[in-house]
Amino acid sequence: MAAGEDFYQILGVPRDASQDEIQRAYRKLARTYHPDVNHDPGAEDRFKEASEAYDVLSDPETRRRYDAFGADFRQVPPDVDPQTWRRARAGAGARAGTGPGPDGGFSYSTGDIDLEDLLGGIFGGRGRRGWGPVPGADTEAELELTVEEAYRGVRRSITLAGGDGARRSFDVTVPAGVTDGQRIRLAGQGGRGSDGAPAGDLYLIVRIAPHPRYRLDGRDLYTELRLAPWEAALGTSVAVDTPGGEVKVKVPAGTSSGRRIRLRGRGLPNPRGKPGDLFAEARIMVPPRLSRAERRLFEQLAAESTFDPRGQQ
Amino acid sequence: MVRVTGLSLDEFAAAAGLHPDLVRRLVALGLVDAASDAAGRLWFPRGQLAAVARVQRLRAGLGLNYAAVGLVTDLLDRIALLETALRASRSPGRSSWTPIT
Repeated sequence: MAAGEDFYQILGVPRDASQDEIQRAYRKLARTYHPDVNHDPGAEDRFKEASEAYDVLSDPETRRRYDAFGADFRQVPPDVDPQTWRRARAGAGARAGTGPGPDGGFSYSTGDIDLEDLLGGIFGGRGRRGWGPVPGADTEAELELTVEEAYRGVRRSITLAGGDGARRSFDVTVPAGVTDGQRIRLAGQGGRGSDGAPAGDLYLIVRIAPHPRYRLDGRDLYTELRLAPWEAALGTSVAVDTPGGEVKVKVPAGTSSGRRIRLRGRGLPNPRGKPGDLFAEARIMVPPRLSRAERRLFEQLAAESTFDPRGQQ
Repeated sequence: MVRVTGLSLDEFAAAAGLHPDLVRRLVALGLVDAASDAAGRLWFPRGQLAAVARVQRLRAGLGLNYAAVGLVTDLLDRIALLETALRASRSPGRSSWTPIT
């Protein structure tokens, strides 16, 4: 349990909640965060927190002790008076410098009980009756890459948040040529197994972020190739950005908007075969404002030309 | 004839940490897939170790009975298929440009 997180808060119920409310809140959380239902890497911890909270609050006697002694209730011997305990705690707090207690001189020894051992016992107790070690569930997380990263491959440091605020970081080497939706398996990085059983796997699902210049279809890339009317009519050679660097594209004379010029193999690489292609799609742009000379030339062209763009449909 | 590969009942039970009788029961309930050979012995694909672990987690974590575990695993598998299909259809197709963000 995270410091400061209270069992009632974890279940999202008020302190005077009835047993029915507690049970209802727990069942809902358990269904939402069960690691086989929810593949989010933080879900398992939320599930365990909720189970621990329910373990304590569903039993009227343990709940009473929790209400009386708070997070340390497991360390308190059964016959201690809550008032005495509170005074002792406050005194210890004052000496530790966390704030003045009402009754500074009183001290109470908690003995050498390891809270983790007790918690471990609780976790072990819930639900594993009759089962041996159970391997952990697989988890999933999205990994967003840019088109350029997918093209070149990238080394990424990934941080996943656990339910209790704990963070896990690890480095992932993403090979060049991953595609949108591809799964990268990190063996043993999923949900924890119980009793020494192996952990599940973490699957990173590649999501390629929208790009201002490229559109992606599998490994093929599409990009817009803007042309002036005379470039499109007369043909030209244009520098086009590709993820692998600038490439000169020859635009044939008589190119209309929508024509696709294929740059073979300039799409995303393929570790197991043919790389994708890059398609430059022609789009003819006209000057938003014409100079006097341009206007004169266009008017001359309009008078001269017999071309009917609607006649050829 | 089914080609028999994988783990024997005893090997599978040992790897899963379960009693062989319980494994046999899980097979009978359709929660674990196994092939049987000519002699009637059960053989388990290695991947079924993950399936049996999921059965254990669902039963333990949500207090489900075996019938409910079967229903839940079937539904989870169907959801996984649908989510995969949804992801594939969500990825940008030929008709649209990726929006500028």
